[in-house]
Amino acid sequence: MIANLSGLLLRAAVVLTGTAIITFALLWNAPGDPALAIAMARYDALLTDDVIDIVRQEAGLNQGFWPAFRAWAQDVLVLDFGRSAVTGREVWSDLLSALYYTAPLAFAGLAIGLGLSLPLAIIATRRPGGFLDRFAVAIASLGTAIPAFWLGLLLILLFSVQLDWLPAMGARTSAHAILPAITLGLGVAASLTRIIRSGILEARARPFLPALRRRGVAPRAIGLDHVAPHAAIPVATVFGLELAFLLEGVVMVEVIFGRPGLGSFLVSGIMSRDFPHVQAVVILTALFFVIVNLAIDLIYRAIDPRIGDSDA
Amino acid sequence: MRSVIVVALAILVLAGIGPLFAPYDPTAINIPDRLSPPTGEFLLGTDALGRDILSRLLHGARWSLGLAFLISVIGLVIGTVIGLAAALGGRLADWVVMRTTDTFLAFPELVAAVVIAGLMGAGTWSLIFALSVTGWMRYARVARGVGLSVKSRGFVTQAKLAGMSPLAIAQWHYLPSLAPSLTVVWTGMFARAILGISALGFLGFGVQPPMPEWGGMLLDARIHMRSTPLQMIWPGMAVVVSVLAINLAGDALRDALAQKAHDA
Amino acid sequence: MLKVDHCFVRRGKADALVDIDLTLYPGKTLAVVGESGAGKSTLITMILGLIKPWKGGVTWAGAPVGSCRPSLVMQEPRSAFNPVLSLRRSVMEPIVAQKITLPKDRLARLCDGLELSADILDRRPYEVSIGQAQRVGILRALIAASPLVLFDEPLSALDAVTQKHTAKLIAELQAEEGFAALIVTHDLGYAVAFADEIAVLRAGRIEEMAAAADFALAPRTDYSRTLRDAAIALGALELSE
Repeated sequence: MIANLSGLLLRAAVVLTGTAIITFALLWNAPGDPALAIAMARYDALLTDDVIDIVRQEAGLNQGFWPAFRAWAQDVLVLDFGRSAVTGREVWSDLLSALYYTAPLAFAGLAIGLGLSLPLAIIATRRPGGFLDRFAVAIASLGTAIPAFWLGLLLILLFSVQLDWLPAMGARTSAHAILPAITLGLGVAASLTRIIRSGILEARARPFLPALRRRGVAPRAIGLDHVAPHAAIPVATVFGLELAFLLEGVVMVEVIFGRPGLGSFLVSGIMSRDFPHVQAVVILTALFFVIVNLAIDLIYRAIDPRIGDSDA
Repeated sequence: MRSVIVVALAILVLAGIGPLFAPYDPTAINIPDRLSPPTGEFLLGTDALGRDILSRLLHGARWSLGLAFLISVIGLVIGTVIGLAAALGGRLADWVVMRTTDTFLAFPELVAAVVIAGLMGAGTWSLIFALSVTGWMRYARVARGVGLSVKSRGFVTQAKLAGMSPLAIAQWHYLPSLAPSLTVVWTGMFARAILGISALGFLGFGVQPPMPEWGGMLLDARIHMRSTPLQMIWPGMAVVVSVLAINLAGDALRDALAQKAHDA
Repeated sequence: MLKVDHCFVRRGKADALVDIDLTLYPGKTLAVVGESGAGKSTLITMILGLIKPWKGGVTWAGAPVGSCRPSLVMQEPRSAFNPVLSLRRSVMEPIVAQKITLPKDRLARLCDGLELSADILDRRPYEVSIGQAQRVGILRALIAASPLVLFDEPLSALDAVTQKHTAKLIAELQAEEGFAALIVTHDLGYAVAFADEIAVLRAGRIEEMAAAADFALAPRTDYSRTLRDAAIALGALELSE
């Protein structure tokens, strides 16, 4: 187990290092002067050429890629992202205020997604191949084909423009969060329905279930004690993917609804070439997903002790 | 298998000959007729610059579908080579490749594509690069998995003993076994590429104006949502219909293969 | 001449083969018998050069064994062929890979000897019987005229009637072609009937090595005697002399 854990941690470290290298390579090759960006991140927006030159030397930018990477990584390693190249504010304070808008939205989206998909999948699998099942599968297929940003636009068109029930742009009141959360939730529900449905079907096809039934175990008890854990394994596996999907959705949804969250923060950072902003989001996202995947791996091993012997 | 080929061909044909049916030049600006609702003259109406939306949709297929096809094939080639290298190259190669794959998978693909395309500067080449470089990992995983299982099969040993070159062995013995499962992955990635292109286009990082691309058309249409809401419907429908068709073909293929594996 | 010179192979932490020393002359047949797990498959893999001994060496006429392009007949005939390719493609692999010009009537002659009709080669592995598949496997092993052919349990997937028939065909072809044959088998009856020499492999070591006739009449070790008596009891081996 300990050997397993250290192997997993080593993998996580390798993945993070890789992400850092790729991120820096992108910044290094991006059009524009990285020294200027770093100087603006550290000091204020008004800079003289000699300040930029000093920064260039300090940051190792005149020594080629790897020394520059080392200098850059020293700050990033302690999660010191400096100041925004555009506003001059601390990146961290901008990040936290963005997170304040994004986290509730993401949770709401996940909750709506689970709230819709779980009952739908359970009803659908009552009679596999029946009308309700086909209906659920069709709806889910349609749902995964609809881009989140178009769905958002359609909801705005219907509920804000035509009916004038809900506000569309901004994040002033909690009513502003309703449409974004629904947009996000519907997308999550579509992909989760398929996964939960096939998870239940596979778990039910296990050979030991008929034996349990013959022994007179109540169907309810079979469902809870035997089918649910087996269905949980594929669900746990895709949970990481689902979170990734959620973040992709958040980026698009925040841009459409003009919410000042992480997604808008990232996109506006890219557009204004605010490298400190961009790298902060990238590194923290990678860190987040590495931790999530690590946790999933551990949960996985807890559910099924056989996993972990082979290196997959 | 047949359904996938039919759908793929239909889409390619649409992307190829669709523009021939376009009644107008998709980039011709025509201010007097701007923001026209659907009429006999402009079947789907016109946009803010008076360009015919039907013509832009048909030409847009070439960008949205053609590029998605290109990107999904690039991913297929990169992923297959990398996955096979992991399966055949020994433990060290496998470790390096799998950790690289983990690194790329650690990040939501679309977000990574947005960052890459955005930092490289908006444009078609950035778009292709960003979506290809974030779109090979699933192929690599599948190719490695199948590769490892084929590696232990008797016919590979026989081919080695016969003196076949590693390249010939990959071509004759690995690729045929890989083809079915990679085709299934490919349908999924093709659909994802269509969604990715439209998302990047919508954010302004993709195909640049005045070229008609469905995501970019949505970006244009969004501003005039109040006056001409229909303008926003058509490009979105085009994306949904293409993605749905490809996904359904992929599902059918997967089921057919599972049935075949079950029968064998 | 195949020379296995005091070879040691390790698999994981355990010794798979210990001090294996064998010599096999062209035209001769050596049968290696032993229980499953004795190291028979490891021995074949090592002779073919697919794994290297950490000590000792395998040579053919003084050169590394790969130089003579040894060929192999596998135990499970169908898995030895790529299921999506025609049998002809698989059979022709050594010819194409080694850029050999095939004498005009060689394929026809070998097919004749193996009692294979020509159209069988245009089918896929799962479209022929298992006995036919095994004979096609032998055809592939012989087509490039390898001087050294290894047989890994060549009869064990076949039914009793097909076994006898296939064993006879192998022997006839060997008389014609003059290759050296190393046959790994657990079938002592087959070994005694068709081999010149028998080597008993037990836990990675050669327990006994003897001419086939001597072995059947007078095994030198207790283990060999147990093997022989078990075979007699099963009716797999008859002592005619």
